Amino acid sequence: MKNLSVRLVVVLWSVLIVAAAAHAITSQQPAPAPGATAMSAGSDVQPPIGKDSVKFLVIGDSGTGDRAQIEVGAQMWKSHSQFPYEFAIMLGDNMYGSERPQDYVSKFERPFKVLLDDKIEFFAALGNHDDPNQRFYKNFGMGGKRFYAYQKKDVKFFVLDSNYMDRDQQRWLEDELKKSNEKWKIAYFHHPLYSSGGAHGSEVDLRAIIEPLFIKYNLHVVFAGHEHFYERIKPQKGIHHFTAGGSAKLRSGDIIRNSPLTAKGFDTEQSFMLVEIDGDVLRFQTISRRGRRIDSGEIRLGATS
Amino acid sequence: MTKLRPASVAVLAALFAGCGSNSSPSDVTGVAADPSKPTKATAAAPPAVTEPVSQAQTDAAREFQKRIQVYMKTHNDAEAKVPNLKSTDDPQQIADREKALGEMIMTMRAGAQPGEIFAPQYQPYFIQIVRDDFAARSAADRKALINELPKNMKVDINTIYPTTLPLATFPPALLRKLPDLPADLEYRIVGRSLILRDAKANLIVDILRDVVPTIPS
Repeated sequence: MKNLSVRLVVVLWSVLIVAAAAHAITSQQPAPAPGATAMSAGSDVQPPIGKDSVKFLVIGDSGTGDRAQIEVGAQMWKSHSQFPYEFAIMLGDNMYGSERPQDYVSKFERPFKVLLDDKIEFFAALGNHDDPNQRFYKNFGMGGKRFYAYQKKDVKFFVLDSNYMDRDQQRWLEDELKKSNEKWKIAYFHHPLYSSGGAHGSEVDLRAIIEPLFIKYNLHVVFAGHEHFYERIKPQKGIHHFTAGGSAKLRSGDIIRNSPLTAKGFDTEQSFMLVEIDGDVLRFQTISRRGRRIDSGEIRLGATS
Repeated sequence: MTKLRPASVAVLAALFAGCGSNSSPSDVTGVAADPSKPTKATAAAPPAVTEPVSQAQTDAAREFQKRIQVYMKTHNDAEAKVPNLKSTDDPQQIADREKALGEMIMTMRAGAQPGEIFAPQYQPYFIQIVRDDFAARSAADRKALINELPKNMKVDINTIYPTTLPLATFPPALLRKLPDLPADLEYRIVGRSLILRDAKANLIVDILRDVVPTIPS
């Protein structure tokens, strides 16, 4: 009888825990925003659909060198078998704390060894914890520059240094945006222009300077980190914003509940994103440290502008 | 090698002229903040007011740029004396280069004192620019900004910026009100001090103390 009571309590607790976890994932899920169609929730990585699509991994605030980073790294590699991304974008805070040569190993090369061994390229942005001289580290793909741009098929990426948005960088950004005629224009940098984070929040100063350029030159998507969670923002002025700064660091429970900005929020576990750009469609999925797909959807070019 | 742009003196003079009145650059249009969302570091758009440039302000601007040029010559001379650095997959090379450049500049500037670049005659302009910027922000914004700054950090001129501490984001709106600097020389805020930092050498080049206003508790 006593055993039966114990079992009942265990079962009840299990049900409660599962229900609470489900609530944490879904409580910030409103109706799909215009231009971003939500797919049904699932538990596994979805393979890409396009044959010749651009496929990449998105990580942010990853450079801890701790167990969380290692486990997320393992999950990233596991996902690669289902979703063979060709390169990875890093949203800053690539290394926390000291940046001695051995830290490059413990906070980047070791956790992501299998990806590096598989010749997956990384293209990093600088975060507020990063020494700008990381730009000279070849594995970060920055070519010695604090801010830079590169192209993958019909997608142009603009990588900004949001720590120090001086006039030089603004001029460069406008020039690059102006001459870009690729189908997709994507910017990424460390500080989110829109965020429901309790600890930081939206970077309004930065937004006042660069958002007008994004609008003027029809930028489609922005990825940022800094906030240690995942958040998909409702489209702002025709631009889709994602915050993915929880790839090792986690600020649990930091997303302000019922924030009018949030289309989807997830702050109970580390995560990363997998993105495919296939013609006029961008498909995204967000995977948790334990391998659950906690968000997914697609953005169609016609619907964004 | 980095050189100053010739237009910098004129820009600086204009900025100093407007520093007491919140003059605003106009090359990029500001975006109205959405009142419904959480925000951080909002600087109210200041009115564009033009004041006549006094001779003292012009002189101060010229002197500041002159001192920046003197520093950049030292930086460039130091760079020529240490091994060149290109992109490498060996982090040791990056660390060695940063250290060598920092030490070379420290040696060449041995005995440097605070105020060598932020000279006393134009310190009031910098202080006014920073104070006006902070005054234009809401209390919550000021607090959010200051909360991000490295704390309990002792900084001194001609020393290495501690690599274990974050480099606090420099508020973009404030950056637009300060004189332009050559590439790899940057403003940063540490505690209540405004510092000039050489990014390649990770070196604190000069300090202007007690610039950032305190938050009343």
